[in-house]
Amino acid sequence: MSLPDWIVLVVTLLGIVAYGLNKSRTTRNLDGYFLSNRSMSWGLVLLSIIGTQASAVTFISAPGQAYTDGMRFVQYYFGLPLAMIVVCVVFVPIFSKLKVYTAYEYLENRFDGKTRMLVSFLFLLNRGLSTGISVFAPSLILSSLLEWNIYWTNIFMGGLLLIYTMSGGAKAVAHTQKLQLIIIFAGMFLSAYMIIHMLPAGVGFTDALHVSGKLNRLNVITTEVTKNGFNWSDQYNIFSGIIGGFFLSLSYFGADQSQVGRYLTAKSVAESRVGLLMNGLVKVPMQFAILLIGALLFTFYQFHKAPVFFNETQVAKIERSPLSDSFHIAQREYEDLSVKKNEKVVSFVDALHEGSEVNMAAKENELRQLQQQSDSIRKKVKTWIGSKQVGGDNNDTNYIFLRFVLDYLPAGLVGLLIAIIFLASWGSIAAAINSLASCTMIDFHRKYSKGIIEPEKEYTLSKKYTLLWGVFCIVVAMFTYNIGNSLIEAVNVLGSLFYGVILGVFIVAFLFKKIKNGSAVFWGAVFAELIVLFVFFLAKTNVIKLGFLWLNPIGVTCVILFSILFQGLFAKKINPTQ
Amino acid sequence: MQNNRHIKQEEEPAPLFKKWGYWYALVIGFLAVLIIFFYFFTKYFS
Repeated sequence: MSLPDWIVLVVTLLGIVAYGLNKSRTTRNLDGYFLSNRSMSWGLVLLSIIGTQASAVTFISAPGQAYTDGMRFVQYYFGLPLAMIVVCVVFVPIFSKLKVYTAYEYLENRFDGKTRMLVSFLFLLNRGLSTGISVFAPSLILSSLLEWNIYWTNIFMGGLLLIYTMSGGAKAVAHTQKLQLIIIFAGMFLSAYMIIHMLPAGVGFTDALHVSGKLNRLNVITTEVTKNGFNWSDQYNIFSGIIGGFFLSLSYFGADQSQVGRYLTAKSVAESRVGLLMNGLVKVPMQFAILLIGALLFTFYQFHKAPVFFNETQVAKIERSPLSDSFHIAQREYEDLSVKKNEKVVSFVDALHEGSEVNMAAKENELRQLQQQSDSIRKKVKTWIGSKQVGGDNNDTNYIFLRFVLDYLPAGLVGLLIAIIFLASWGSIAAAINSLASCTMIDFHRKYSKGIIEPEKEYTLSKKYTLLWGVFCIVVAMFTYNIGNSLIEAVNVLGSLFYGVILGVFIVAFLFKKIKNGSAVFWGAVFAELIVLFVFFLAKTNVIKLGFLWLNPIGVTCVILFSILFQGLFAKKINPTQ
Repeated sequence: MQNNRHIKQEEEPAPLFKKWGYWYALVIGFLAVLIIFFYFFTKYFS
């Protein structure tokens, strides 16, 4: 990075920390620290919800995803707007009316203490580990690209945000998220502009879309229904997106404290609802726009030489391995194809401008064939990198957009894009740490404390828990590096392993009024979790084919069925004559 | 925390619209429009 990049990076990060500290003034009690005294407008709630959900990976991985697999990933978010409605109708009024600090407090009131503890524990386990990975994932990418020390990058990634998160709690988190999102969107818009601006003269935005579309990168809607039926193992299609995405979003926004804690800060039920519903309106277009950057980037690389593999650290690994010669041959073939593709894509755009359908179809066909050859070389290289002989990470999705940033964007803008990675991470990590601290304080410390604790003492303790969880997440990030990249993949599905069960408990609480026995729900949740883990094991060992999004509806259904079953059994045990 | 067994749903008025139902219809309708748009977008450019 050049000096201007360093200046932009340091000024942006320190500016955010200073802004967070400036917004840290709040009342010295739990209402002030965890709920910002329920004073937030819907706009701030909306930005806080978006900032919490969107991590660094959202902004750097999504364009890479569109580059490799097309835009169909957007379907993953189709269930979210529907989930927002259910959260507004069912969850928000109850949480707000009961004036809870955490979603799990409600479960004790509805069932019993052990059900509350179980669900809160599942949340802490899931969120604690995944936040550690949220620290590690962007740190790994930055350390690979910029040759930074991974341990120091982890510390800066997870440590600087602790200054304002610890100091100002939910209020500082929400206000910094607002500023972070403004900077992030400005940076992403500038990158999109630069991609289009750097296309050859005479090639415009719609031409770029045509090229991308013809090469199957604008596949926004896919059904995965073939002659053989529906492909259950496919992760992103309209059905898994609406159904699986609905359950995942419902559990995330209704039963995950990192999101519940955001809309509980609203000054009224109406402000919470509008914030959530606006999220339902803007989330899909927002993801569409981010993915479109990747599709445009794909077109950009039809006119410019693309690397066969975007992560240079892994390229260095294969070059040191016995597969080095084969790799260099493949690399040369890929470059030759790049030159040919460049010529074809130029003639395709010319045919497009002429409006000659026959000419266009012929050029399109040639272009597709060349792209297939390129894809097959890239696939081969990826297999080599992942093989035992190399032992590398063969997924370069996270590196595609950033490689472009470093290779093509001007000085200053590179620093801004690197800062965006930090800011996007901070937004989600800060909210997660704040929620972990609130659950520890409210669901465990306060519950098991003897006597009444002074508000000032609770406030100080909450700050300490915030610091402790921050340190925990950095430690997880450090261990992740030692264990290897396979853990990242495991943690990506971690949410789906627990969210279904957590949501199931809340659905039983809200919709199955006849189920009142806490033990029935507790054991229902335990058995459901075991089933989900077993199904996941079957899918992982290829005994069955199932995308991870389907684990959410399975978890929900199992909790409901087991709770009904155990309610009946326990009732008979209590009164065997009935 | 208050007891939830006798929660009365005191509905806060919805901003902009008369009822919350219109808000929900707007969200569902907008999603449907987006899906239709995406369908034709996919078709047109492929």
